[in-house]
Amino acid sequence: MIELTDVSYTYPHTVHPALHRVSLNLEKGRCIMVTGPSGAGKTSLCLAACGILHHEYGGKKEGTVIVDNRNVTEYASLSDLAQNVGIVFDDPEAQMIFTTVEEELLSALEHRGLSAEVIEERLDGIIRTTYLDKLRDRSPHHLSGGQKQRVALAATLALGNDILILDEPTSELDEHATERIAEILTDLKNQGKTILLIEHKYRHFEGIVDSLVILENGAITASGIPGEVLKDARIRGMIFPDFSTIHKSHPKLSGSEPVISVQNLTHSYEDVPALSGINLTIRRGEFVAIVGENGSGKTTLVKHFNRLLSPTSGDVIINGKNTRECSIAELAHDVGLVFQNPDHMFFADTVREEIAYGVDNLGIKNRDAVIEAALRDADLSETAAMYPRWLSRGERQRLAIACVVAMQPGIIVLDEPTTGLDGYEALLVIGMLKNLQEKGHTIIIITHNQEIAQHCADRVIMMENGHIISDSGAA
Amino acid sequence: MAEILQYVHKDAFLHRLNPYTKIFFIVLVTIMAIIATDIPFLILMVIALLAFAAYGRVLSESLNQLKLILVMSVLFILITILTMPNGETLGYLIPKIIPLIGGSVPITTGGLMIGIVLTLRFMILIFAFQLFLISTQPRDIVHAMEKIRIPIDYILMFIIALRFIPTLQIEGQRIHEAQLARGFNPGTGVLGKVKSVSPIIIPLVSNALLRSNVLGLTIDMRGYRTGKRTHVRERNFEKRDYAVMTVLTIVGCGFVALVITRMI
Repeated sequence: MIELTDVSYTYPHTVHPALHRVSLNLEKGRCIMVTGPSGAGKTSLCLAACGILHHEYGGKKEGTVIVDNRNVTEYASLSDLAQNVGIVFDDPEAQMIFTTVEEELLSALEHRGLSAEVIEERLDGIIRTTYLDKLRDRSPHHLSGGQKQRVALAATLALGNDILILDEPTSELDEHATERIAEILTDLKNQGKTILLIEHKYRHFEGIVDSLVILENGAITASGIPGEVLKDARIRGMIFPDFSTIHKSHPKLSGSEPVISVQNLTHSYEDVPALSGINLTIRRGEFVAIVGENGSGKTTLVKHFNRLLSPTSGDVIINGKNTRECSIAELAHDVGLVFQNPDHMFFADTVREEIAYGVDNLGIKNRDAVIEAALRDADLSETAAMYPRWLSRGERQRLAIACVVAMQPGIIVLDEPTTGLDGYEALLVIGMLKNLQEKGHTIIIITHNQEIAQHCADRVIMMENGHIISDSGAA
Repeated sequence: MAEILQYVHKDAFLHRLNPYTKIFFIVLVTIMAIIATDIPFLILMVIALLAFAAYGRVLSESLNQLKLILVMSVLFILITILTMPNGETLGYLIPKIIPLIGGSVPITTGGLMIGIVLTLRFMILIFAFQLFLISTQPRDIVHAMEKIRIPIDYILMFIIALRFIPTLQIEGQRIHEAQLARGFNPGTGVLGKVKSVSPIIIPLVSNALLRSNVLGLTIDMRGYRTGKRTHVRERNFEKRDYAVMTVLTIVGCGFVALVITRMI
């Protein structure tokens, strides 16, 4: 159904090709999973496979792309291609155009030349299969990242095309929600759909993947039956990162003083309770993982640590100071928060300036030495003069951490630091955090990744519906 | 967060009206607000609009705009006082007690009047458009505009512009938080607000550009420009539409009569 032959592509104004002689043959009813490091050209491959590159982008193109037995250049327009191919892009927010979930799906159904009755019927069917019943009338802007991903998938399914291209459709989903997507895809495959899947989480999709493709630096370095491809130890490490190799330090915690103390914390957004009755003490030098499903209150909790949110009731004490009495800027000396999406914070012209921003805000001494050290720790010394947004996702994530580390806070909080990274990149990030812990920092991460939580954290806190339901380190 | 100019899902009177009825309503209200200069009449229009909003159960959403309107009215009145001195002098913007420059900017009845009229007009326009946007799904707007032969590209531009408002609001908030977390201290008060805007603009715009690319592709891949469309859940012209249209026509005629007899 999709056949790429020797496809090379270079984006306008760049030198290095994003894709280099990529050949791929996706037969009807099969599923190919493509994986590889961030910045390897996976998204470009998606754009090529559905003809968008040839129709919408400039730059240098070589090779041929055949979709449903026709060369993509023979299709009159994207709308024409859209009759055959459905694609889910990696940014769910950008795919939410309308004002209710139902309207979003209708907008896709309306252009298929179906009768009104068939549309209503299909709408109900899709809402059922993607478990969107409760969200039907909600505004897409108010959904969580994971819910948005499900709506984006549903809108593409609504087109009813036989070919589906999915660019990291589960990047913001927890384990449970990823399982759901895997189930949906299994059903689709059983219905005879052809699927090109870009993913990092091979384990969840094992059952449906017929062929595994490894893309690195724009070129395919391995492809074939998953069992064969995974014989290569290096590739195994990329797909199944071995977090157990990260040695667990055993800090002497019993004697160390509490750095965070949360007392009876409650928080409500308008009238909706997000946290209730949270009690928690975190001691200096601990490595804590906070786990829980999407929407369980993890991010809301950590935003209290540097007062981006104030308690509705209860108290948060950081290093002996009640956050109610401190400004956010004061707390930035104590707590560094790395947000889920690093792109929200970059605005400087170079990587070095980006790190300098926080350092200068706090007026830290030995400015230049501190910045150099942060660059070195994040393995970014060579890219110090680059524009932050040109870095790969893995590098951007490390830069986001470096920006915070350079401010020398005792406590470093990270929201989903390994999202969208392949195994090696994730290991690099976790290794970096472990080093920081050894230097005496307290590390708190929010993660969906069970293995990271188990192998790397000294303590795992599980949240559900705004409560802490288990805490492995509770005294 | 209060969202500006976004559809709110409800099942109320305004929501059930046909989009054309509401477009007719906006056109009429706009024309009336532009022609009328009589302050009591304009105030009456504002009250009528709010009553209409209350009847359609969207009053609280309408009142959310008051802050914006307040800022705007202060600006308008200030500008007209400065630029259109006319009529009796009521006092001076810079009190006479201050030496040299004291008494230099007169507050005149004319300037004040024009400022108030402008404010009321904008208030009416904002309320009217908001009533329309709050109660009409973008999909219905697309259909309605398409039927009156507005090219699809222009319609989509309009829809996307509206759609980006909450995205930019939410995104701006996130970026601002990320910067606060990095020790950015813009200070408080007006100066702080202004200072905090500039570092937000760059990431906001570059994220929005990236996003608009994907958004455009999404629209294309959903086949929006194929031109063929099945009309699902169209709102027919119903009794309530005829009723509202009749009332609006009577109001329109009455207005014309008032204008001709120079009552307002």
